[in-house]
Amino acid sequence: MAKRNPSVLSNEIDWEKGAMKEFTPDPNREVVLSVRNLSVGFSVRGKKTHVIRDINLDVYKGQTLAIVGESGSGKSVLTKTFTGMLEANSIIYGGSIMYHGYDLAKLITNEQWCNIRGKRIATIFQDPMTSLNPLLSIGYQISEVLILHRGMEKEEARAEAISLLGRVRIPHPEERYDDYPFQFSGGMRQRAVIAIALACNPEILICDEPTTALDVTVQSQIIQLIKDLQKEYGWTTIFITHDLGVVANIADDLAVMYGGQIIEYGTIEDVFYHPAHPYTWALLCSLPQLGTKDEPLTYIKGNPPSFSGEIIGDAFAPRSEYAMNIDFVREPPIFKISDTHWAKTWLLSPYAPKVEPPLIIQELHERMKMAADELAHQEGDNYAKSPSK
Amino acid sequence: MTTYIVGYTIIGLIIAFIIFCVLIKRQVIFAETPKMQKIFAHPLMFYSFRRLASGLISFVLAILVTFFLIRLATPPDNTCQDLFFNPKISTEVYNLKCNNWKDNMGFSGSTIQQLGKFFYAIIPVPKTLCITDIDTTLGMYTIQSCRTFIFDFGRIYKLSGTTDGSFVIDYMMPRMGVSFSIGIIAVVVEMGLGYPFGILMARYQNGIFDRIGRAYIISVDAIPGIAYYYVWMAIFCGWLGLPMRYIEGNFASWLPAILTLGFTGMAGIGLWVRRYMLDQFNSDYVKFARSKGLSERRIMWIHVLRNAIVPLIRTFPTAIISALLGTYYIENIYNIPGIGQAVMISVNSNNSSLLSGIIIVSALLSIISYILGDVCTALADPRISFTKD
Repeated sequence: MAKRNPSVLSNEIDWEKGAMKEFTPDPNREVVLSVRNLSVGFSVRGKKTHVIRDINLDVYKGQTLAIVGESGSGKSVLTKTFTGMLEANSIIYGGSIMYHGYDLAKLITNEQWCNIRGKRIATIFQDPMTSLNPLLSIGYQISEVLILHRGMEKEEARAEAISLLGRVRIPHPEERYDDYPFQFSGGMRQRAVIAIALACNPEILICDEPTTALDVTVQSQIIQLIKDLQKEYGWTTIFITHDLGVVANIADDLAVMYGGQIIEYGTIEDVFYHPAHPYTWALLCSLPQLGTKDEPLTYIKGNPPSFSGEIIGDAFAPRSEYAMNIDFVREPPIFKISDTHWAKTWLLSPYAPKVEPPLIIQELHERMKMAADELAHQEGDNYAKSPSK
Repeated sequence: MTTYIVGYTIIGLIIAFIIFCVLIKRQVIFAETPKMQKIFAHPLMFYSFRRLASGLISFVLAILVTFFLIRLATPPDNTCQDLFFNPKISTEVYNLKCNNWKDNMGFSGSTIQQLGKFFYAIIPVPKTLCITDIDTTLGMYTIQSCRTFIFDFGRIYKLSGTTDGSFVIDYMMPRMGVSFSIGIIAVVVEMGLGYPFGILMARYQNGIFDRIGRAYIISVDAIPGIAYYYVWMAIFCGWLGLPMRYIEGNFASWLPAILTLGFTGMAGIGLWVRRYMLDQFNSDYVKFARSKGLSERRIMWIHVLRNAIVPLIRTFPTAIISALLGTYYIENIYNIPGIGQAVMISVNSNNSSLLSGIIIVSALLSIISYILGDVCTALADPRISFTKD
């Protein structure tokens, strides 16, 4: 590895040669939500932090976009800006979120947001155990949305809410309408939350780690449910998750976030089979399913960057084995790999030395196949053992 | 006679009602009427019966403790000496007077017998108790007078010429009326001020109103009551010119006491309302409700306030019932002839029967208010279940 001496860096070379000068959407798809140069931070005890740093993102109609990244990478904060659900001490420093000609970054009051939230952009939160009001019946919480957004009468809303409960596959929905959240299990509560999202009939559905708090067996059911409903209703879905398995299962496109930025974006095939950013490599390498028996488990060394100071260069550089001198001095621009795939790393610069990605990434295709086969094998076993089927 | 008819009718009705409920629950009668089943075989009904039964045990214990403590503090023989000892009268006459007094007060016989009499007087069944008065000034002259009671706490001695020898229950009832009429208005004032106070503080948390409100709450909490009661007195009576002494039928003279209680109680209510509201504001389901697109107004009333009040519901019956007992300081400061003042009078004059009467009534009322508080909370919170499984 080159000696790290960031002070010597020639200014005569156009380092950003070949990089994307202006962020442009995929011309073949219809953009619903367009984020440009968005910067968001928090003011904590008088100190300002930058949690979202200059993000550009296009959400296309009908797309299922997954956003992955470590805790504290800014995934949730990013999606919260779409519905104005940021905490009171947050500051939008700049940038725009264009949605049907409105700049969501400029909306301030809750009254302004009321036309967007639920009706147009709905959110499913992580923990179904706490997402529902414990003192109101499940049915009431669904009908309240139907009455508000679809202008239904009480009786009409009741009938519709019962049909929605049926849609999310809650058995005997007419009997469960008057039940309270404490009478529902975690998976059923998440179904009820999804029914509320259905009642909103939004254009964009943000799922903020919808399965993290659930049992593994329930997780796949919920994912399947969201997938089926999405097909039926044609939502655009933004899926925040830690779980790359979920991503592979549900998403069309994947945005990898690190240090408040999207560092790689592409279709599932692009990112899983041709990852370009060292962080994406590290993330994929740390999937335990991809390891072989005699190999030690890989993990990402070090800690995510702190947002209290200014981040210079590539945020991942201090933890990266592939960091070059320039990574410590200059922030990498976006290098386009294909129409659907881009990454923010100096490794894609024409001046960068050719590096070999880690072994797991090179063998990714085979290993994924192996892991999938093994999983199918296990599931087959479970299927055979399961007495109910 | 009327007392007997009314007393036994009430007892009969209560027993009949309990039997009715049990029969419905056992499905002996109205087995086919779901409406009757729902009302009279409601788990809450039987929970209340169970609580009343266990409340009865607490009440019996309270009576026992009161009996022994009062007897220890004021042995009847000492009181006898205080009341009747006179060097001019012979020992025989003294003993005669003393024993007669003891008989009348239920202080004769063994401790167990005394306890039995004490209990018999208190249990709420109609009964006739007779007392014999002896006058030795004009030779031996006895007058027997009988009276029918539901409750009896004995007779008052050593207060003043007019009340000496009258019944505790007769002395307490009008005082309770005075305490209650002032107390209930004070409860309305303190809740009427306290709830909006807490709601506004929570709504505009860290705003100027919240800061002032918090300062007020802390000062009320930190300064001993007796000190700021006089500050209020200076404001109401000195500055606003309200009467300083209670005058029956003159509402202006009640105001200082009502306002002092109201402004003081408001601080405590505001503190808890604010606290529970803020808890709700930060809860996930309020965030989810907001992300559904509900208006802030609706979130505030339906989701936040409703849930914040549930833990406070138990304070409603307590506040109303404890208004019957008045307040010790306020009644003494403004010379209000209520129960609070009677406590001081009875302690100062060593009047054990009046004191034990007040203690037992207050024990009974607080047991009832706890049960009512629990039942009200259960009615408001669907999560509370009464079935054992």
